[in-house]
Amino acid sequence: MTLWLMAGLLFTPLAWAVLTLLTDFVWGRRVTWVGILVQVLVSLGLWLTVAQHGGFYYDLGGWGAPLGIELRVDGLAVTFVLLTAAVASACGLHAGVYIDQHKPWHRYFWPLFWFLWSGLNAVWLGGDLFNLYVGLELISLSAVGLVALGGNANALRASIRYLLAALLGSLAYLLGVALIYGQFGTLSIAGVVAWLDNHSAPAGPGLALALMITGLALKTALFPLHRWLPPAHGIAKSPVSALLSALVVKASFYIAARLWLAFGESLGSLAAAQMVGLLGGAAVVWGSWLACKQAQLKQVVAYSSVAQIGYLFLLFPLTYSVSESVSLQAQQGITLQVISHALAKAAMFLAAGNLILSVGSSRIDALAGVSRFLPFSLFSFGLAGVSLMSLPPSGGFAAKWLLLQASLGSGQWWWALVLLAGGLLSAAYLFRIYRASFAENPETDQFFHPSKSLEIIPMVLAVMALGLGFVSEQVLSVMALPFAEEGAP
Amino acid sequence: MTFPEPILALVAVCLPLLYPAMALRSDWRRVMRYILPVLPLPALLLASCGDPSWQLELPWLLNGGLWALDDLRRLFLLLTAVLWTVAGVYAVGYLAESHIRRFCVCWGLTLAGNLGLTVAVDIGSFYSFFALMTFAGYGLIVHEGTDEAHYAGRVYMAMAVLGEMSILAGLLLAASAADSQLLTDLPAALAQAQQRDLIIALLIAGFGVKAGLPLLHFWLPLAHPVAPTPASAVLSGAMIKAGLLGWLVTLPFGEIGLSGWGALMVAAGAVGALGAAILGVLQHRPKAVLAYSSISQMGLMVLMVGAALADPERAPVLFSVIGLYALHHGLAKGSLFLSAGVSLPASRMGQTMIWILIALPGLSLAGLPFTSGALAKLAMKAGLAEDSLSFALAGCLPPLMTAGAIATLLLVLRYLWTLSAKLETGQTPPMLTAGWLAAVAASLIAFWWMPWDLAGLVKAPVWLPAPYQIWALVWPMLIALALAGLAVLLCRNSRSAALGAKPH
Amino acid sequence: MTLEEWMPVFALMISLVASVGIFALPETGYVRRTSVNLGAAVLKLVVVIVMVWGVFHGVNYGVSFTMLPGVTFVLRADALSMMFAGLSAVLWLLTTIYAVGYLEDSPNRRRFFGFFSLCVASTMGIALAGNLFTFFLFYEILTLSTYPLVVHRGTEKALRAGRTYLIYTLTGGAVLLLAIAWLHSLVGDLSFRDGGHLVDADPDIHRSLILIFILLVAGLGVKAALFPLHGWLPQAMVAPAPVSALLHAVAVVKAGAFGIVRVVYDVYGVEASSDLGLLAPLSWLAAFTILYASTRAIWQVDLKRRLAFSTISQVSYIILGIALAGPLAAVGGLVHLLHQGIMKITLFFCAGNYAETLGIHRIDEMDGAGQRMPGTSLAFTIGAFGMIGAPPLAGFITKWVMGSGALAVNMDWVILVLVGSSLLNAVYFLPIIHRLWFRKGKETWPEERTWGRLETSPWLLWPPLLTAMMVVVSGVFASSQFSPLAWAELIVLREISE
Repeated sequence: MTLWLMAGLLFTPLAWAVLTLLTDFVWGRRVTWVGILVQVLVSLGLWLTVAQHGGFYYDLGGWGAPLGIELRVDGLAVTFVLLTAAVASACGLHAGVYIDQHKPWHRYFWPLFWFLWSGLNAVWLGGDLFNLYVGLELISLSAVGLVALGGNANALRASIRYLLAALLGSLAYLLGVALIYGQFGTLSIAGVVAWLDNHSAPAGPGLALALMITGLALKTALFPLHRWLPPAHGIAKSPVSALLSALVVKASFYIAARLWLAFGESLGSLAAAQMVGLLGGAAVVWGSWLACKQAQLKQVVAYSSVAQIGYLFLLFPLTYSVSESVSLQAQQGITLQVISHALAKAAMFLAAGNLILSVGSSRIDALAGVSRFLPFSLFSFGLAGVSLMSLPPSGGFAAKWLLLQASLGSGQWWWALVLLAGGLLSAAYLFRIYRASFAENPETDQFFHPSKSLEIIPMVLAVMALGLGFVSEQVLSVMALPFAEEGAP
Repeated sequence: MTFPEPILALVAVCLPLLYPAMALRSDWRRVMRYILPVLPLPALLLASCGDPSWQLELPWLLNGGLWALDDLRRLFLLLTAVLWTVAGVYAVGYLAESHIRRFCVCWGLTLAGNLGLTVAVDIGSFYSFFALMTFAGYGLIVHEGTDEAHYAGRVYMAMAVLGEMSILAGLLLAASAADSQLLTDLPAALAQAQQRDLIIALLIAGFGVKAGLPLLHFWLPLAHPVAPTPASAVLSGAMIKAGLLGWLVTLPFGEIGLSGWGALMVAAGAVGALGAAILGVLQHRPKAVLAYSSISQMGLMVLMVGAALADPERAPVLFSVIGLYALHHGLAKGSLFLSAGVSLPASRMGQTMIWILIALPGLSLAGLPFTSGALAKLAMKAGLAEDSLSFALAGCLPPLMTAGAIATLLLVLRYLWTLSAKLETGQTPPMLTAGWLAAVAASLIAFWWMPWDLAGLVKAPVWLPAPYQIWALVWPMLIALALAGLAVLLCRNSRSAALGAKPH
Repeated sequence: MTLEEWMPVFALMISLVASVGIFALPETGYVRRTSVNLGAAVLKLVVVIVMVWGVFHGVNYGVSFTMLPGVTFVLRADALSMMFAGLSAVLWLLTTIYAVGYLEDSPNRRRFFGFFSLCVASTMGIALAGNLFTFFLFYEILTLSTYPLVVHRGTEKALRAGRTYLIYTLTGGAVLLLAIAWLHSLVGDLSFRDGGHLVDADPDIHRSLILIFILLVAGLGVKAALFPLHGWLPQAMVAPAPVSALLHAVAVVKAGAFGIVRVVYDVYGVEASSDLGLLAPLSWLAAFTILYASTRAIWQVDLKRRLAFSTISQVSYIILGIALAGPLAAVGGLVHLLHQGIMKITLFFCAGNYAETLGIHRIDEMDGAGQRMPGTSLAFTIGAFGMIGAPPLAGFITKWVMGSGALAVNMDWVILVLVGSSLLNAVYFLPIIHRLWFRKGKETWPEERTWGRLETSPWLLWPPLLTAMMVVVSGVFASSQFSPLAWAELIVLREISE
């Protein structure tokens, strides 16, 4: 059973990718519908398995580490798998309607989409550094391709920029992986941790960790390495932007976080942790500030991603040399932040896409009258915004609450201020948009009304982001399930 | 009598209180006017026939309501009811068509307040009715809508609100000192209270606005001339007494001798009684003269209040005198005000009759023998007799009273003088005449039937002054007449001199 | 789940479901929307009345579940909750009726009524919240759901007001969140409890507790419009009249004041708050706000703006009452929660009627409006006299009880504040009343609409008349068993008996 689930998660997306490579857009869409159904079912199945029996290590094909592919199937991983299934299917379904099927190059959306999905699953479940790298590359390359689908010169320029940043990041990461391998002779994270538990930490691997995290930070677009993100996310098609913001950047962060939680205590330092946190804080402030200055709707949303990513990096200071409970709170908070941001940002990009489609312009001031004539799309956008502003009862609020508790509990009150300031700044840029939409300029309805299916998808995501706050306890409890260590080397 | 007084009291207050609801239907406007005289009738019945020893508990009302009557309140209730009744009759004939609904609404509310505050024994309802009267009274004052009326209304409102606030603060402090919500508990508690002087000051000032205490009186001469005549009558006759009643039921009379406050009140009364007279004789409008006369008369009552404050032993006696005086003044002043609106008949005989009827209540004010004024003046004189009082200023009281009597008559003469220039011959609406005549009758005749027990101050037969007293009453009047004659002569001379100086 | 657990959920969900239902109906479905809205309002009123009855007889309504590790979501009905919930339920019904008439033939009604119901749902949540976390949850939802109402008109002015509103309230919310999170990390998850929790707090954390209290009051003070955090309120009056009415009477400002009551009474406890020396400064601040805002109100020429400043002043009575730390003064403060609500909503309804029927917005245009609109003007007069504190109206009861309470704890200066505020109220309300009734009106009104024999639409006329009647009734019958005063006494009795 588990074998089927694993295969279903990792290899069937590849199969769909190959299949859709051969078809035109419309057939690709049909294949994708089937694929989405399968993927969602499989993800749910795995989640249920873990929720019932707890997490485990799984050696794919029976070969264990260090040679084979070792998968770490824990509560966190399956939660993210499920999250991916939700967000990616929403984006896929939305894209099927949203993307213009008459442009020939658009048919490549489907294979790229599926490659991305399989890469994501690989990253969530990956248990060793090299497989994580492979997954990461798969993600980066397909993401670049998706950005380039925009078709015009700007899209190409943005995607080239993205590609360069991604490659640079990958290189740094790979270098770190090589150093680790040289030091410890294993690529399995669990293996390295086991080694570190028995020996005192040597000096070299600290550099390796720094290299890997820097590379991943570049891929995650942490301030000040964020410059590639807004053009890429802003110019891509809305479903693509949604995928990129919601999932792709999270993948590299996920790896960084795993590395930090595994090695940070022994290889990291207080200064490094605070430094990363500081950059995160700067990202929150600077990203929000820039978001306030943008005139284009999607640019605002893209810069908002820069800011929201900043929160994630507060994980580093909040888990370094603090009590167990604070560390747990921080991890839970960050997890919720990842989930809620993924849902909310996807919803927001999709809703923004709908709005742009309706008003025929991507400028914010073109939104006047939207509240009157297109309330539904605006409402999805608004609900997603509630989560981004981390206002209750959204998942974003639950995350903020836990992070506040962690920062106050560990005595690092300055992060609390960052969190609060970030919330206010996000309100500042989001309400700019609402405000524009409430203006009553056009007296008549001159907007294009997108089809219902386009409008419903972001709404569903936004409601999920909003409702996350109420079920946080349940979500977190799955992650806290006991982990069966017998598979570990 | 077996009449259920508590229910009658409820009806007496609620009838005028709910009457304004009639204004909601515009087609009832014509009827409203004719109901005006009916409104105070239950109260009249209550005051004149009821057994005063009833209590009405209304535990749900405000901070717990209690209504009751005692002798003092009954006196005030009687005055209020009578005066509002005759003024109501008068108003039926007096009112013009414009804004009649508004006038009737304000009338009803003011009346309800005025009646209610006399029967209220708990602080909450007393203050409520007092405020109701104050605020609704504004509508009566500015009714004519002239700029002058608006100005008077503004001054009235400003002072009234200040007064209300002063009362509120005073009552709050007093109630908290007494730890009770009943007026009856206040005097005793006030006598002991830590902040006694502050509370007394607040209450004196607060009620003083209504009672026309000097320096707090400014609104009176402005408001009375501009208000419609029936409203002036009740303002001056009944509402002004509400301030007096306020003092009587809250201040610590009979509990403790407050010679300082007593002296202050006596001084204020003297200033009021004489100062108002001086200002009053300089007025040109009859109703302004009457307003000053009211202040002057209130000054005399303040004199008694001061004496009662200073001398706890004498306070019970003075209370009845104050009540008597208030009743007398209210009725007489009411009829004087109402007379300002009548027209003279064509025949000489009729004119004389009318003038006599106009003048009589005025002379009664001045203490003409065989009138209520004589009774009141004599009672006051006995009440304030030097040898029965034990405080510093007692010696000044008799001359002050004499001066007050002279001032009173001078003002009345001045009123008649100014009125004579204003009254014209013509038709008087019958209801108007009826109201006025009823007022005069109440002042001159009905008064005598009232059973007074004045602690033996005035020898029997009650209403018949003994010969030695007649002189005491009359000589100040003669002085006043002489002074008036002198003034007239002087006026004539200067006028003829002015004429004579004119070149031919 | 038992019925006791379901009741608060019902009370909360009715408005929420109504809100979703309204959003789901098409813009043109007037009749259906109105029926859903009014039906829900009536249903909620019934539920709340049942709960009031239950709470009076000692039934414990409550439900809770863990929302986050260490944090529970608690809905619970105590006497204080039901006071606020009752106010909210009654005024929701009336305001809905009013709004239906007010917004006749105007666009965006679906949005309006949807958010309106959401706003009421969040006040319900605020009322029933059983701990600070839950309170904050609904407090912020309230902020969000009122924004679309404030900017409803979509004019430049409205949008600017909405911006100011957000800057104030969101910042306040952030401060509040910090305070709540801090308190939580210090002493754990505190549910509201009669008598509070912190009476015997560890002396080591006293300094933190003081700081947290300041933050809490600052955060809540924004909505309660405490000086100097009141700047948003006068601007927010550009909203349509029913919104202003709701904002000023129940929803926003009351939420802030209610929160401060909760913090002082049910989190810190009166004893602890006054031991920490927190209440005296709070009472000074409240007193200053009362006088300052009343003074500012005098110079306002726009009717709604004047009313807004009046609100700032009046809401601080509630805070003053509880900050005096005496049971009787607290009764005065709490009862004002209701009294101010019904008085102010009356005034705003009337202001809306003048604007909608005659096009009157400024006070100097109101001359003679009493002749044209006697019913509305009657209600306005009653409301204004209530605000002044004229007996026997509701405002007098507040002043009397609070004054007595202040004297009982030897805070005589409060009398000065009460009297001064009454005077100022008289200064800015009486001229309006004079204009209404005693000035001659102009020949034509700025923008007159006629309704046949009636002075205005019955939808607009009845709500203010009803609330005005409540002002009279709750004043006159203050000592009866089910008056606001009696309920406030019940609350305080339960608080201090712990």
